[in-house]
Amino acid sequence: MKKNLLNKLGTIITSAALLGASLTGCGSAGAENTAASEDVTIADAEVAKAESAEETATVYRTLDEIKESGTINIGVFSDKSPFGYVDENGEYAGYDVYFAEKIGEDLGVKINYVSTEAANRIEYLQTGKVDIILANFTVTEERAQEVDFALPYMNVALGVVSPEDKVIESLDNVGADDKIIVISGTTAETYLEKNYPNIKLQKYDAYAEAKTAFENGNGVAWANDNTEVIAFALENEGYKVGIPSLGSADTIAPAVTKGNETLLTWLNEEIETIGKDNFFHKDYEETLLETYGKDYEDTLVVESGKVQ
Amino acid sequence: MDINVLITYIPLYNEALLLTFKIGMLGILTAFAIGLSGAAAVYFKVPVVKKILEIYIELFRNTPLLVQLFFIYFALPKLGIRIDAETCGVLGLGLIGGAYMIETLRSGFESIDKVQSESALSLGMTRRQMFGSIILPQAFSVSMPGIMANVIFLLKETSVFSTISLMDLMFTAKDLIGMYAKTIECLFLLVVYYLIMLLPISVLGSFIERRVRYAQFGD
Repeated sequence: MKKNLLNKLGTIITSAALLGASLTGCGSAGAENTAASEDVTIADAEVAKAESAEETATVYRTLDEIKESGTINIGVFSDKSPFGYVDENGEYAGYDVYFAEKIGEDLGVKINYVSTEAANRIEYLQTGKVDIILANFTVTEERAQEVDFALPYMNVALGVVSPEDKVIESLDNVGADDKIIVISGTTAETYLEKNYPNIKLQKYDAYAEAKTAFENGNGVAWANDNTEVIAFALENEGYKVGIPSLGSADTIAPAVTKGNETLLTWLNEEIETIGKDNFFHKDYEETLLETYGKDYEDTLVVESGKVQ
Repeated sequence: MDINVLITYIPLYNEALLLTFKIGMLGILTAFAIGLSGAAAVYFKVPVVKKILEIYIELFRNTPLLVQLFFIYFALPKLGIRIDAETCGVLGLGLIGGAYMIETLRSGFESIDKVQSESALSLGMTRRQMFGSIILPQAFSVSMPGIMANVIFLLKETSVFSTISLMDLMFTAKDLIGMYAKTIECLFLLVVYYLIMLLPISVLGSFIERRVRYAQFGD
């Protein structure tokens, strides 16, 4: 009996050691080149060590490669109305998607939409699963170290929405046992973790789940991009945006894999060019007007990458 | 891989491990309690109860845990039944695990030859004595591998808890990757922590298996 147990233990320890070794190998190869580190499989990592770091970096596709293949992969939200969502006909729609369509049209390629969650956005770029992320991606310093942002196309800040009968107007008034709902991987989460470490957060990994949980009363408030919470309060009765603007004023921009210069340059030129025709105002009127009305048009829209 | 990153994340992973283990164990205990009483009811062919159990088993074995959790956590509050996330996790694991445990134990009970129960009864044992001292120990010995497989399956199923906002190991890793993008470190710790939790159980399982099957095989 003892012998059997020992055998089993032996197998387990060996397999654990093997796994550890392979992961460490993967990590050290990655350290040489951060852009490539995330997607290399164990076998790739071994090869990568032998080859120059330069070659392992090309997880992304250049502008020419995209044009040649005839399809561009764009990561968008599928559950974040009115920015990126799937409409009743099963088609992607929203402010981000309207812009994505324009990109496809001007590049002359077909678009393959890839549905993403907030926490996946950096990963999808680093592993080359998408060419561009157009999923309401707020520009932050931390993120800019991992991906390359193009020119911005929208303004954003954080906001907090709460039920009308118990409106929260300052985060200093949140009770010790009260929980605030956030979505994992959003700027709201990072901001609260950093600036209000004592507030208890209830984290969800998708927009739809956070929304349902908030409606069910699982938290006293919901912190998210202010565009989101304003839309939520307008669409659902009994809620009020107690804190309409929190933290610094940020922008939202398309992102590409770190180092994908050709695509980044093209995107920047595209944003500048279409801005001359007030493209994003048209985008707003087509997709956001119904939710926000005229009042927010000039606060939200950024043309040609120039923040007012 | 950056060692300093690993060190900063370890306390968070410890917390997640404790939560995962706590909910996992409570869920398994619930599952075992449901399994044992359910299998006994099926074995004794308790009239109405047997039919209800059959429906319960089919319902829970043929729907994913994720769907069950969604229902308990997101749909029940709309009907006025409010359950907090941890209880919801325990309940979800307990219910799906219970369905599997009933089936595992039932097959154990059924594998014991009819001669055994008939002899026990003809020796003047009550039905309770017959079940407790003759059938149960032998059935348990037969079911042991299945039970251990269920236990490990249930502990691994805890990885869907992120849906209901429980900061289990999986969600902690995903959340940290989302915030700080230290993918390699987070995933490495994730695998290591699942192994820390599951390996001892796997070893303990083989040990218990040997012990309860002593009568059957000797060693």
